Amino acid sequence: MTMGIIMIELLNNFFASSVMSASLLPALLIALVTASMSVMVMAHRLSFLTVGVSHASLAGLGIAVSLSLPLLPVATLFSVAIALLLALMPKRQGISEDAGTGILFAGSMALGIVLISTATTTRVDLFGLLFGNILTVTADEKLWLYLLSSLILVIMLLASRAWWSIAFDAVTAEASGLPVNALRLLLYGLVGLTVILCVKLAGIVLTAGLLVLPAACAWLWGRSLAGLWILSVGFSICGTLIGLIWSYAYEWPSGASVVLALCALFVASWLIHWGKSWQRTHAIKG
Amino acid sequence: MGESIVRVSHLRFGPAHKPILDNISLNVEAGHFMGIVGPNGAGKSTLINIIAGLTQPDGGHIDLMGECLTRSSSHRLLKQIGFLHQLHDHQPRLPMRVSDVVAMGMPGYAMPWQRSDHRAAIEEALTLVDMQELTDRDFRQLSGGQRQRVRLARALVRKPKLLLLDEPSAALDSVSQDRLFRLLRKLCDDTGMCAIMVEHDIAAISSHVDSVACLNRQIHHHAMKGENIPDDVWRAMYGEHIQIVAHDAGCIGCAPADEGEHDHGHHHD
Repeated sequence: MTMGIIMIELLNNFFASSVMSASLLPALLIALVTASMSVMVMAHRLSFLTVGVSHASLAGLGIAVSLSLPLLPVATLFSVAIALLLALMPKRQGISEDAGTGILFAGSMALGIVLISTATTTRVDLFGLLFGNILTVTADEKLWLYLLSSLILVIMLLASRAWWSIAFDAVTAEASGLPVNALRLLLYGLVGLTVILCVKLAGIVLTAGLLVLPAACAWLWGRSLAGLWILSVGFSICGTLIGLIWSYAYEWPSGASVVLALCALFVASWLIHWGKSWQRTHAIKG
Repeated sequence: MGESIVRVSHLRFGPAHKPILDNISLNVEAGHFMGIVGPNGAGKSTLINIIAGLTQPDGGHIDLMGECLTRSSSHRLLKQIGFLHQLHDHQPRLPMRVSDVVAMGMPGYAMPWQRSDHRAAIEEALTLVDMQELTDRDFRQLSGGQRQRVRLARALVRKPKLLLLDEPSAALDSVSQDRLFRLLRKLCDDTGMCAIMVEHDIAAISSHVDSVACLNRQIHHHAMKGENIPDDVWRAMYGEHIQIVAHDAGCIGCAPADEGEHDHGHHHD
């Protein structure tokens, strides 16, 4: 009983808090965009790419800082370029994609750190760049977020079936007349765009988590593309809300709380699924 | 004489001094069921991939449905082709229902702005391959043979004018294999679909197909139904190591029974 009252009070305070209510909409929008992309990240096995690009974006931020250019546009261009480079590299040079990602990942992160630490003109919060904070989103950044996320969602809606059939069977997709290479480039570019959009706001950890975990949870239950997408968005929004409430209640860093909430959802989802299939095999035996 | 579906002339693939395919010419008409046989590495899959528009040839010319296959026409022409290739994901990962897999074969699948209802077509294609009862099953939980039949339904759902098959019977037992060849025969006869199928086992297909092309870098022989494939063709294709086994009469490449044990039809190396 008292637990219930405490919970309700906590939720009331949470929604009344100006910091939380201001960041709730951007956070949920990020949850929607990343959950949508995560289905394709999972289908095309791009989770390492998202980690690579999110770290590589540091070099983009570094270049922007040392040349005193606007942070987000430069970092966006840089990340998309890195993602496209990774899409093109393996074919040309015979380097496997994960090695390519590893090389660019380490190299550009090192470049970013050097550039940012030598830029003495401006005080830059390296910790903030790396880990971001959803609770301190400025009005400008919100505009960027709304613009880019609607772009991502529209492209996603138009191309998702083509990407899905490429993930299922690229050869047949190509034989039925789909421009497979162009669509793949578009997907990599869009993953790059999603990553950078979220890194600045949510940090590297949260971005990588949001681009893998929702679809991973949904994968156990979904039975079609539409089902996966809906489940994935559902898991992502639940995780974001739980994480933000935790973050508010215990004063934990917001990004890490959301990722922890999503991990907890994944473990719970996996346990329930495992339990169900265990029950089913035993029901057959008995 | 039907409409020409595939006309290949003087096709070459690979370097000029050591081509993988050399001077291939073929003409296949509507309703024709052609088998391509040949040893491993003979270029059978390469030829199928070139006709399917996946690989660019280094020389020669291809007409599909009476229209030249080029980069600009391929998009339109390929919509009329069904293709069942060999490089399947043996552990499919994507959660999909059987009907979703078949729906991917519809020409407008990747374009969600062209909404239309394909239920009837999907149902029909699954009925053709005897999978209508498994429409809502998870594709990942099917057996290898069932998956192969669903893939065939996906190739058939667009009602192709040309069906290309690369060793379609690899995952099938002999009963399903026979049923598959009968189905293809029936589709060619009833709908005027043209089928080109790569198979390594000529004995299994010879009583179903209209003609067999013996391929090893070039087409050594194109035998029509009821015609013999001479010994020297087998030798040219497989080398001197083959043992020629007599087979029942009436199939392509088989001698009439009274010609004795020296004739052929089935190759073993």
